Amino acid sequence: MAGLIQNTALIGDDIPRLSGLREKGREAFRLPTAKTEAWRYTRLHALKADDFVVAPSKFLAELAGGEENGECACCRGQDCADDRSECSCGCGSREHENGCRCQGHHHRRESLPFAAYELHFDNGKFVPVYPVLPPGAEVMTLMEAVITGEERHLLNKYAELAKYPFAALNTACLEEGLFVRIGRNVCLDRPLAIINHAVDTGVNLMANIRNLIVVEEGAKAELVEYFAYEGNPKARYFNNIVNEIYLGAKAEFNHYKFQNESYKAVHIALNLVRQKKGSVYGGFCLQKGADLGRNETRVQLTEEEAKAEVNAVYLMNGWATLDTTTDIEHLAAETYSSQLIKGVVGGEAKGVFQGKIHIAPGARKTEGRQLHKALLLIDTAEVDAKPELEIFADDVKCSHGAASGDLDKEQLFYLCSRGIGEEEARQLLIDGYLAEVLARADNAAVREWLSANIRETK
Amino acid sequence: MSTALLEIEDLHARVAGKEIIKGLNLTINEGEVHAVMGPNGAGKSTLSYVLSGKPGYEVTGGTIKFRGRDLLSMPPEDRAREGLFLIMQYPVEIPGVPVTGFLKHAVNAGRKYRGEPELDTMEFIKMLREEGRKLGIDAEMLKRAVNVGFSGGEKKRLETLQMTILKPQLAILDEADSGLDIDALKVVAEGVNRLRDDRRSLLVITHYQRLLNYIVPDVVHVFAEGHIVRSGGKNLALELEETGYAEFVKEK
Repeated sequence: MAGLIQNTALIGDDIPRLSGLREKGREAFRLPTAKTEAWRYTRLHALKADDFVVAPSKFLAELAGGEENGECACCRGQDCADDRSECSCGCGSREHENGCRCQGHHHRRESLPFAAYELHFDNGKFVPVYPVLPPGAEVMTLMEAVITGEERHLLNKYAELAKYPFAALNTACLEEGLFVRIGRNVCLDRPLAIINHAVDTGVNLMANIRNLIVVEEGAKAELVEYFAYEGNPKARYFNNIVNEIYLGAKAEFNHYKFQNESYKAVHIALNLVRQKKGSVYGGFCLQKGADLGRNETRVQLTEEEAKAEVNAVYLMNGWATLDTTTDIEHLAAETYSSQLIKGVVGGEAKGVFQGKIHIAPGARKTEGRQLHKALLLIDTAEVDAKPELEIFADDVKCSHGAASGDLDKEQLFYLCSRGIGEEEARQLLIDGYLAEVLARADNAAVREWLSANIRETK
Repeated sequence: MSTALLEIEDLHARVAGKEIIKGLNLTINEGEVHAVMGPNGAGKSTLSYVLSGKPGYEVTGGTIKFRGRDLLSMPPEDRAREGLFLIMQYPVEIPGVPVTGFLKHAVNAGRKYRGEPELDTMEFIKMLREEGRKLGIDAEMLKRAVNVGFSGGEKKRLETLQMTILKPQLAILDEADSGLDIDALKVVAEGVNRLRDDRRSLLVITHYQRLLNYIVPDVVHVFAEGHIVRSGGKNLALELEETGYAEFVKEK
């Protein structure tokens, strides 16, 4: 575990901006201990059980002139000198005399059941195939954004590395990730999708992905983040994700996430959202996979009439630990937040919810609501919930609630007394229980996809 | 010659360790309507729950045969699939589960059990809307979550609708008139009467005679102190309305 920060050669260490950030990350990184309050309920055993290695950079492999693993450097979305015609798979690359050899990555990928601007990562490495975005919207690698200065020093600006140990780790290993910019008043006609594939390689890979997303004034966009694995359901790997999201005045951004990692994976994600006047953030996270999973969302409502919803569903079995942590900071008057989190916990699994609403001095006429509920399907399942309110202003409306329990026996009997078998009845009740949260996912196609994945017990 | 649909022999049952039903005997033949009347606390509702298999209602003695089969060995869902239906006194609210989806599951579970093909969604919705209309249940109500925010009358209409589409051999009405105004009562009674034929039977559990003006019984039983203390024709209900249950409670 001590080896999480390794002497892996990262590209761009000669760029002061990058090397400076990495140094900051290295300095700030301290693994949480049993005494670290923010990690008290979420133990890191799953992370400590093995060492994780960072996959060698594709760029470095490329620079070294290697066609590693039989993959071809020409299939990186760039035109190749000896091209013939466009590859029939639509990957955007050119075929060679002996045919396209890109089948190594994107041919076998499951695609989403709705139209999206798809971006893919394989084991934490970006597959450089870009969708054609409408004018005013752009996507590039984070590396490119740093080198060209497009990131305008927004990267890591509000990350508070001392407070977020895994963001520090992510910063120390800064290399992979995307920069997305949705320009002023641009409205994306379909969601962006960042699809993270894990393919078992036999070694425990660690991936640090950093995405910087800027939605400018009056722009509207949706993002779907999807974490999936292929092959071995017991593959061990560690995805450490940080998303920095900036919403300009009156911007609207829906952020859907489906975490469906392998049973033995570790998934730790931090979403840092900063909002200006009248902007709207809609977060919806479904966590279903991983041995240890944490989705943490910090929202800073910095100007009036900014509004955020953070909704989540977690489903678990076995021995998993899934953590949903939120921290909503109302830093200006007349800001609004609403959180609805529901979990279904079976086996000997453990759900963790830590939800904080902070209302800063002067944030008058602010409204913050939070509700966490968990269904414990069996006695051995466990949920730890820690709601916190910090209110330093008058004239605010604030509420929080937490409840946990088994399925309602009267409801179960009612369904069975109509001829519905017990298993089916339980599933109907679980679906019904989650329907309230799912209804908060605005995009109907995405909602249907998430619903279908909730019903499917994989 | 009439065939017995339900045969209860020397039934004893308890709830939370307390014996409520003490030696009940009752036989209902195909096509018959039986009313069980009695004072509050006599165990009338317990009987309906024992028949439908509600957890927590423990049978300590006796037998129940339904269509010749041992009812007590079946889980609640199989009792329903075999053709037993309970109109509940206080139907439970189920947030998030829409009426239509719930009823489709219920109908198809029964069809599957009987080896019949499942209904497709269009067919089912058409049938449901048509039956709903007869009971004053509109399409909007069918989209709502089961019983959530329903008035007392709406809940009973939904119970009646469920009965109509599940077409049970034996429907048990547990205080079906409680909380109903006279118009709602008529709608429910009409729904129940439409189901009556020479094969299907009804067990009407009620405190008051009122409901029996609309659902006319063949046999009336007085249930007190955990068993049937007297049986008679439909006029017995009118008699009870005059005299009350006091003499039966004392009889002990």
